[in-house]
Amino acid sequence: MPVIRLLALAALLALSGCSFTPFKTGATTGATPTGSKPREPGAGPVLTAPTDIGRPDGEPVIETPPPAQLPRERPRVPPATLSPASRTLVSQAQAQRRKGDLPGATVSLERALRIEPKNPLLWLEMGRLRMDQGNYPQAENMARKALSMSVGDDATQSAAWRLIADSLRARDRNPEAEEALERARALEPS
Amino acid sequence: MARKKRLSKSMRRRLQRGFAVLSLLLLLVAIVVVAVLDRRVTAQFEGRRWTLPARVYAQPIELYAGQQLSSRRFTEELERLGYLAVANPDRPGTYRRRGDRVSVFVRDFRFADERQDARALRLAFSGDAITSLEDAQGREVAVMRLDPLLIGSIFPIHGEDRIVVAPDQVPPLLPAALKAVEDRKFDSHHGVNPLAILRALFVNVRAGQIEQGGSTLTQQLVKSYFLDSRRTLRRKAEEAVMAVILESRFEKADIMNAYINEIYLGQDGRRAVHGFGLASQFYFGKPLTELSLPEIALMVAIVRGPSYYDPRRQPERALERRNLVLRVLAEQGVVSAADADRAAKKPLGVAEPGRKGGSFYPAFLDLVRRQLREDYEESALTEAGLTVFSTLDPLLQEKAETALAGELDRLDASGRKEAKGLEGVVVVTTPQTGEIVGLVGGRRAAFDGFNRALDAKRPIGSLAKPLVYLAALETGRYTPASILADEPVDLKLPNGDRWKPANFDKQLRGPVPMVRALTQSLNLATVNLGLEVGLDHVARTFEQLGLDEAPPEFASMLLGATNLSPLEVAQMYNTLANGGFRSPLRAVRAVIDEAGKPLKAPELEVAEVSSPEAIYTLDRMLIEVMERGTGRAAKRQLPSDLVVAGKTGTSNDYRDSWFSGFSGSHLVVAWVGHDDNRPTGLTGTTGGLAVWSRLMGSIATSSFEPLLPESLEHRWIDYFSGLETSPYCNGSAVSLPFDVGTLLEPAPDCPPGAVESPATAGFP
Repeated sequence: MPVIRLLALAALLALSGCSFTPFKTGATTGATPTGSKPREPGAGPVLTAPTDIGRPDGEPVIETPPPAQLPRERPRVPPATLSPASRTLVSQAQAQRRKGDLPGATVSLERALRIEPKNPLLWLEMGRLRMDQGNYPQAENMARKALSMSVGDDATQSAAWRLIADSLRARDRNPEAEEALERARALEPS
Repeated sequence: MARKKRLSKSMRRRLQRGFAVLSLLLLLVAIVVVAVLDRRVTAQFEGRRWTLPARVYAQPIELYAGQQLSSRRFTEELERLGYLAVANPDRPGTYRRRGDRVSVFVRDFRFADERQDARALRLAFSGDAITSLEDAQGREVAVMRLDPLLIGSIFPIHGEDRIVVAPDQVPPLLPAALKAVEDRKFDSHHGVNPLAILRALFVNVRAGQIEQGGSTLTQQLVKSYFLDSRRTLRRKAEEAVMAVILESRFEKADIMNAYINEIYLGQDGRRAVHGFGLASQFYFGKPLTELSLPEIALMVAIVRGPSYYDPRRQPERALERRNLVLRVLAEQGVVSAADADRAAKKPLGVAEPGRKGGSFYPAFLDLVRRQLREDYEESALTEAGLTVFSTLDPLLQEKAETALAGELDRLDASGRKEAKGLEGVVVVTTPQTGEIVGLVGGRRAAFDGFNRALDAKRPIGSLAKPLVYLAALETGRYTPASILADEPVDLKLPNGDRWKPANFDKQLRGPVPMVRALTQSLNLATVNLGLEVGLDHVARTFEQLGLDEAPPEFASMLLGATNLSPLEVAQMYNTLANGGFRSPLRAVRAVIDEAGKPLKAPELEVAEVSSPEAIYTLDRMLIEVMERGTGRAAKRQLPSDLVVAGKTGTSNDYRDSWFSGFSGSHLVVAWVGHDDNRPTGLTGTTGGLAVWSRLMGSIATSSFEPLLPESLEHRWIDYFSGLETSPYCNGSAVSLPFDVGTLLEPAPDCPPGAVESPATAGFP
């Protein structure tokens, strides 16, 4: 079956005049299109990949409009929020932290994380708890996890950079802390 | 006469003196013996009376509005926990379901952070989710845990296991029944009951059935303490003396409680079940307080001979004796005749072994024990009465067992000789939190020391490829469109041998874009890439993703000659599923001591070990593996809109069949092979992937939707040429991430933007 498909595709490609560009083979070709990689802060992607696109089955099916024409700008997403269940658990954890019950706070926050593992706010809370525990590297790591989960959410990103700054300062890495704080400020909603 | 008298007088005096000395000696000996016995039995009774194996619980089910849980599945979970369906759930451990409304009286339970009191709850469901959760007064409850399933204990080899219960956790019927059946004079005797002994002797001599044993409960307790079954007269005498000593020193109530916690009630493999607390879990899967009359009667019946009256192996014998116990209870006025009659009509009601109470998660429990051994001495685990909160999700575990067994059975039935009697492993994790929620170590749950999931190190085959591609992407010199050479490799190895790997189908494809090379698992393109990137860099990537140490740098490692256990594979792939964040996989969440104090346990940790861009790009290509590559077969068993990513792996001569892949909420690693390493005739697709997709298709999971890093954008490229193209005129266009502004060569016949945008063309 796949063979037939490939043959059909080859035929199609031949018919449509599509030809493979001659490739060099060997070590150097690996790095095809490196070229210039401008990373303007304002430029960013807007498209999401369609999950099912035309397969090499000889009959190209056009299922998704190409989004390449849309203007390219940094997509914004609304600030992350907590579900009622995790909100309850976060306030419980905060109360436990105030009482100095750090193991208890850990249990509560981990419960929330199991309910909403992709909520960056919970990873931030976890990072703050690690600060209380004196585990500054993990506080930073939790904040970085929050960063990776809050692309386009300035408010959350700003909070994450603040936590990173705190964690760096706690380790006497002041210049880096200052840098992180700068990033936090730049992302603050005006 | 007088002489005689004198003589006899002096003789009598001498005799008297002799008697006095003798009795003094005897008394001394007796005092010493009693003192020795007293020390032994009192120390046993008073001191640390029981060594308590650590008790291991599964993760609790969280109840909250929005939780993906149907009312049917919820009640199944309640049944698993031994909750009883009743008309009016007014006591802990009961529930009532009416369609999509469930009322449940949740048991109290001491969690790692707090004791959660027993509480009546009302839940409403809609479809597959909980819609509301409130207490008996109608107040909303935001979130609450069910008491978790007890999945086992960490007991020493051939060791005793027990759950100690306090007097207030014992239903009053139990001591009453024990007295009625085993020791009617318990409340008044002084440790022994000479009449009973005589009667027992007499009955024994008549060789009839034993209606009453000669031993009092106290004597049975003493006997159990010293675990000596020699039936010598001396032992009997010692026991009797110690029973009298216990009675003189301690209250009846304390002795009864000790008995209830001490007595042997059954065998579970290597584990000896002691005490009614554990026996209640072992036989009925619920706490002692919740047992009904026929259940208590059965346990009292078992006391006399746990293996002779084993209700699982000898159900008829056990039923007969249970009903005899019920009759005795009615005769003695402990219960009414009507109650006894009604109870006698009930089935034994013993929980099926394997699901409730017993230790039927040996592979997982072994992992728990090994993780705890990092922080605890063996003796602390087997003796100190710790409570361990594990990460196991019993429902997922069950699905994983079913998926593996189902697929292996199908292979057995396929008639192919190599596919008969295969073994397998399944590891399931939740990638974000790094928790091991399921671990199946083989076809049968039981195993003897060898834990495949942890100890079976096998070549991982093509599961190594994503690591090669990640190493390449991290150099910043490659994109999914980079052209690789799918051309012959002929390497001279340090030992002088030549290494000439081939593609799976022995074909050469020449220049191929990276995405196709990975998606179709092309060996030669991968080896050429790996050699370009450098073996050292690839080896470091193994370590970076979570392996304890980098594998030896042989070129064959590029094709997965490295031997790894399924758990190690899970650790590495968990990092891929978790956006490049490594979290040490955990089987334990928390540990508390007997007093409820939190102790050391593995913590949730994360570390960013890969660039977000490289990970995102690799993950996108692993999605393509499932869309159009070697993982495509899985699609048939999965919901059409579920996005998953993964990779097949097959070792040389088809000895190992792997699949490792993930959705947004689960990572599953499946391995199928023979223990003796014979070829299986299976590729990663026919073995591992089949198990994987069976499992993924049977659980509630979410799409894998990684967030696009800001410096990347998606572009359409031709899958076969790597040229930039448009999906409007190219059926093999695939959308993949590139650094913003990357220069891509356009496809001449169908360049990007070849067809007008939908807005202007009115398409489709």
